[in-house]
Amino acid sequence: MNNRAATIGGYVAGFALLFLIWHFASQFLVRSVLFPSPFPVFERAVVLIEDGLLQEAVLASMRRILQGFLLGSALGIPIGLALGSFRPVRLLLEPWTEFFRFIPAVAMITVAVIWFGIGEESKIFLIAYTTVFVVIIATAAGVGAVGKDKIRAAQCLGANRFQLFALVALPATVPYILTGMRLAMANAFVTIVAAELVASNDGLGKMLWDARLFMQVEDIFVALISLGLLGFATDRTFRLLIRAFAGRFNPTM
Amino acid sequence: MALVALEGVGKTFRGRTGAWEAVRDFSLELAEGEFFCLLGTSGCGKTTVLNMLAGFEAPTTGRILLDGKPVRGPGADRGVVFQGHDSLYDWLTALDNIAFGLRLRGMAKAERRAVAQRFLTMVGLTGQGAKHPSELSGGMKQRIQIARALANDPRILLMDEPFGALDAMTRAVLQNELSRIWAETRKTVLFITHDIEEAVALSTRVGVMKRGPGGTLKAVVPVDLPFPRERTSDGFMQTFRQVHALIHEEIHPHE
Repeated sequence: MNNRAATIGGYVAGFALLFLIWHFASQFLVRSVLFPSPFPVFERAVVLIEDGLLQEAVLASMRRILQGFLLGSALGIPIGLALGSFRPVRLLLEPWTEFFRFIPAVAMITVAVIWFGIGEESKIFLIAYTTVFVVIIATAAGVGAVGKDKIRAAQCLGANRFQLFALVALPATVPYILTGMRLAMANAFVTIVAAELVASNDGLGKMLWDARLFMQVEDIFVALISLGLLGFATDRTFRLLIRAFAGRFNPTM
Repeated sequence: MALVALEGVGKTFRGRTGAWEAVRDFSLELAEGEFFCLLGTSGCGKTTVLNMLAGFEAPTTGRILLDGKPVRGPGADRGVVFQGHDSLYDWLTALDNIAFGLRLRGMAKAERRAVAQRFLTMVGLTGQGAKHPSELSGGMKQRIQIARALANDPRILLMDEPFGALDAMTRAVLQNELSRIWAETRKTVLFITHDIEEAVALSTRVGVMKRGPGGTLKAVVPVDLPFPRERTSDGFMQTFRQVHALIHEEIHPHE
């Protein structure tokens, strides 16, 4: 409990320090209307929240991230398991993953918009795209890392091939899958902003774009801080979930 | 008929650096209920013998019979206790680790838990069943491994230097525990070790291997001492010296 209090205290102090530096930088270092102090930004944030605009943008972006992320994970986990378990599948699919993971989702925005329009589908496609390869690679690596003795022990306890997979390889891979998903989540944030900048009617990326057009510098900062906080909160939630459901799989996580 | 028969068994590994003959012309019969220690220097091929009997490796020459039937791959009739504790399932509790083999057989949860509880008590871990492997000490993990293998009721228990990674005190305690468990169950055991004292303390027969490459069985020494074994007794010392002389020639071949 004391430890948790110290952690939270550290976060609060850390953020306070960040805003303090920001404030002094805006007052004494870069005195420009283009670099506002935190206070007008907070005031603007309150207005945007009262009008419901910030919540709307956050919800739009988060909904896309979650939908694409879940779709990408749902595809990536079974493909990764198959890739890690069966040599023919690995030989066949590894060139794909090695090829596509170097084509960033940001570069696929144009194609996504041509195929799916500027609606939800193109954004969900891009998030799923950026998620799927990270999850595949992490999952396949996890399958490959299952200890030889774990497999052998199960074999001489009488496990058949299906039991080896379902009761040994799969649970042993869970920490790798979750780590892959956590990395993919960070990619999803990068992608959603880029996608909404280029083609969207709402979301935090759109908010950034509009603010740029109308020179609303405070709005830009509100959007940036929202992204940071959302990413931070999402990652913390993920870590808590990993602890709660899979901490015993891997005590170091 | 012998429970286990190894007949002229040999194993040659082929790798990028060429061929390595680990075991050559190894023959041995194990009777039901005996505790056989296979003793040898490192690299003599003793673990390879165990791996072939377990079915993890196929012999290059000769054949291995269990109950008169040739061994083909691993199976539930041969329980294995591994040297390291990586073989335990981190995501299962100690009790569920012990019950794992019964679960594979489709035994109902309540029933297999009851059986596992009995073996948990047998290895002296009553009340520790809800812990996960990461919460247990090295010695406790080896106890869980022994309980897991025994709960599955194999025909023979294969133990590959199970106490090799433990400190001397824990090792001595576990050796005594294993002797007690063996006396209770009379399970046939093949125990691999490089520790002479351990071999003499535990076994009914000690097999000494020639050094590798191409290790083979050099001599078998019967150990006719009562249990529990008194390590400072004359009989123990005498057997110790006899085995020591045999192994000493393998460590210092040019003396």
